Amino acid sequence: MNTGSHTPLLAMRGIVKSFGGAQALRGVDFDLESGEIHALLGENGAGKSTLMNVLSGVIAPDQGEIRVDGAAVRFTDPRAAQAAGVATIFQELDLVPSLDVTANLFLGRELTRAGVLDGGAMRRAARARLDEIGFDVDVDQPVGELSVGRRQIVAIAKALTYASRILVMDEPTAALTAAEVQRLFHVMREIARRGVGIVYISHRLEEVPRVADRVTILRDGRIAGTAPPTAPQSDLVALLVGRPLAELYPRRSGAFDRRVLHLERAAYRPRRPKAGWRAPREVSLEVRAGEVVGLAGIMGAGRTELLSALYGAGGPGAWSGRVEVGERPARLTSIPEARRAGVAFVSDDRRGAGLMLRDSVERNLVASVLRRVSPFFLMSQVRQARLARQAIKAFDVRPPRPELAVGALSGGNQQKVALAKEVLGEPRLLLLDEPTRGVDVGAKGEIYARIRELAAEGVGILVASSEMPELIGLCDRIVVLRGGRTVAEFPAGAAEDDILAVAESSQEDSDE
Amino acid sequence: MNDAATLLKSAPARSTPRRRLDFFAIAVRFQSVIGLILVAIGGVIFSPRRHGSILFLAPDNIANIVRAISETGIIAVGMTFVIITAGIDLSVGALLSLCSVLTATIMTTWGWGLVPTLLFVMICGALFGCAQGAISTRFRLEAFIVTLAGLQVARGLALVISNNQYINISYGNGPGLAPPIFSVLGDRLFDNTVPVATLVFLVVAIVAIFVLNFTRFGRYVFAVGGNERAARLSGVPVTLVKISVYAITGLVSAIAGIVHAGQFNFGSANDGTGYELTAIAAVVIGGTSLFGGAGSMIGTIAGAIMLGALANILQLNNINAALQLLATGAIIVVAAVLQSLVRRREGLGR
Repeated sequence: MNTGSHTPLLAMRGIVKSFGGAQALRGVDFDLESGEIHALLGENGAGKSTLMNVLSGVIAPDQGEIRVDGAAVRFTDPRAAQAAGVATIFQELDLVPSLDVTANLFLGRELTRAGVLDGGAMRRAARARLDEIGFDVDVDQPVGELSVGRRQIVAIAKALTYASRILVMDEPTAALTAAEVQRLFHVMREIARRGVGIVYISHRLEEVPRVADRVTILRDGRIAGTAPPTAPQSDLVALLVGRPLAELYPRRSGAFDRRVLHLERAAYRPRRPKAGWRAPREVSLEVRAGEVVGLAGIMGAGRTELLSALYGAGGPGAWSGRVEVGERPARLTSIPEARRAGVAFVSDDRRGAGLMLRDSVERNLVASVLRRVSPFFLMSQVRQARLARQAIKAFDVRPPRPELAVGALSGGNQQKVALAKEVLGEPRLLLLDEPTRGVDVGAKGEIYARIRELAAEGVGILVASSEMPELIGLCDRIVVLRGGRTVAEFPAGAAEDDILAVAESSQEDSDE
Repeated sequence: MNDAATLLKSAPARSTPRRRLDFFAIAVRFQSVIGLILVAIGGVIFSPRRHGSILFLAPDNIANIVRAISETGIIAVGMTFVIITAGIDLSVGALLSLCSVLTATIMTTWGWGLVPTLLFVMICGALFGCAQGAISTRFRLEAFIVTLAGLQVARGLALVISNNQYINISYGNGPGLAPPIFSVLGDRLFDNTVPVATLVFLVVAIVAIFVLNFTRFGRYVFAVGGNERAARLSGVPVTLVKISVYAITGLVSAIAGIVHAGQFNFGSANDGTGYELTAIAAVVIGGTSLFGGAGSMIGTIAGAIMLGALANILQLNNINAALQLLATGAIIVVAAVLQSLVRRREGLGR
């Protein structure tokens, strides 16, 4: 677009980065003008975060160059990038939970007087800064006691303290309420008006026309296209996914059997409520054998909490209302109980909670069915190997080597192992939390196909996802969760906007 | 901004409900101070009496308590920094012994003056800590392993230098004699009431309270322990901070070693055994989390004094050393449980 004598504020050229064998970025060009809000879209695993980590000095690119105001720069660490006026709000918030809001806002650039921290000045400045962007947060409160949404606000305020030229925002709205998003967009336009260039990373298409001046779409580590924000959503979706949606998502079967899960006004009351853990409060839904039901809702709506509570992993507590698994009442207050009832769960945090990364594929696969491979308490290597071979074949884990450490596999193949591991237990109800997080588009298609096959074999599946196109493409029905309550249900093929409208409406009612 | 605008903008902030005072959390935050008070009360109640006066409160006895804890107290102060970064330093006791040997050797056989000797020993201690920190950060090794090795190395060096003999310090002017002023470390000042070793502890403690709470470095120590990634992304020089806290434990171990040599008039390669555990116990009782990110220097100091007072009461009542260990163990568990309860209530616990 810009040719000749014009130099953009930021020009990234031919950025290449690979991790181990996997190429995260395959030669990306990206421009940013001063005063521009440039949206960067892409599915999970498309390379958005890697690209921005390169820009903010967290990782060094293998190839390519970065120019700010036409001058080549090389950021070796976050500090160097910040010194050049590049500020980043990371998805995993760069906040220290044990320090208070003021200390976090000034971390790395504390105000001092004669070498001594000037607490009073920092508190006043923190107060003023938060007032300036119109957010009301107690500056003396430890960040760990704040809700996720409020932490996000603190992180934004923090980045603004040193964003003199370029501000990178990695999915800043994921945890915000509709009103907070509105306020944030207002603040962003205000900052842009002062000449700061903003890179706005998101996978929420509907936000783009509201805030961006230009949209660039990243797919599989390459630029898939650049568009004005007014481009029709279907065009953007096609660029995002790289093929017509029908090809990515397998056909639905439409023939359902008996109910495997039936919840009616079900609530889970933990004996010790945890801050930030949104307990299911009033959930009514059913999942039939052969059916894939989607669980939609914004961050903090309680999707993960509902799934883990159904798996008996909600901590000590009790269910109330009607909770039936396989048409029989189930207690579901401990993991062994849930497993005996035929419930299996694949966590969204496969690296933290789902897999033993240093252990082999084979040992991971049989971890949840040890009883089947250990007659008389002795591990049968033969049965273990046989079972693992079958699972690797059925789920097409690549490379098909059972002895390999799971941590050495790509994200997609790790996810296949996590899924296969639970399926070996032959559940009647499978709970999936973000089954394609951090998975590239190719592996996504395979995982969707496998989920459909399992459904066809008579398993009932409940999928929670923050990616609306995924739910719409994959599920037979979508249940919307808000503040721990089921608030609406949509049939297959509902419009994304309609679902989001329900999911995001009047968040306030969800706060106690 | 004029005043009216300021008022308007800060109005909603004022309307935020202040957090309720959480007495339980506050009590746990100062648990070691409360523990110290309880132990002191217990000391008064259970103290043997002589001619109607309470032995526990006798000036001599108090001086004994604070003198006995001065060396481990000095070390515990340094250990607090390390533990707040979620690290640990096991080498401190051995390093104390190495530094006591060095001090004695330098003054008696090398014939250096007082100031050069003390500076040299302190630099050695700090460098030893630096080396441990550098190895641990450079090769991404657990501090536990590196300082466990450091413990062996320091003890080994002390044995080699001392030839496994006590290096006795005699005072006077001339070759082979230490400057007489050095023996002041074993004395008491102010009408024979305040032990000099305790004064050293006091100075170290005050400096540490200041550094931890009122300097940028102190803030970084909390940040590194609270969320290392966040600290790095915020531009905190994480590696430098980590190396520095081990330099601090090295330095305080050296100071404690010098105090040790001055108090007992010898350097020995076999002293200081188990001091690292006493120091860690004082830090934990003082409310510092082994997970890092939270802690209190005043808590550590109170914790160290409390352990000393407890041992003293048991000694006054002729209760044997085995029971002292049991009591210490029980207190550590209680302190840790209380903190775990608070963490869980705040939703930060695991």
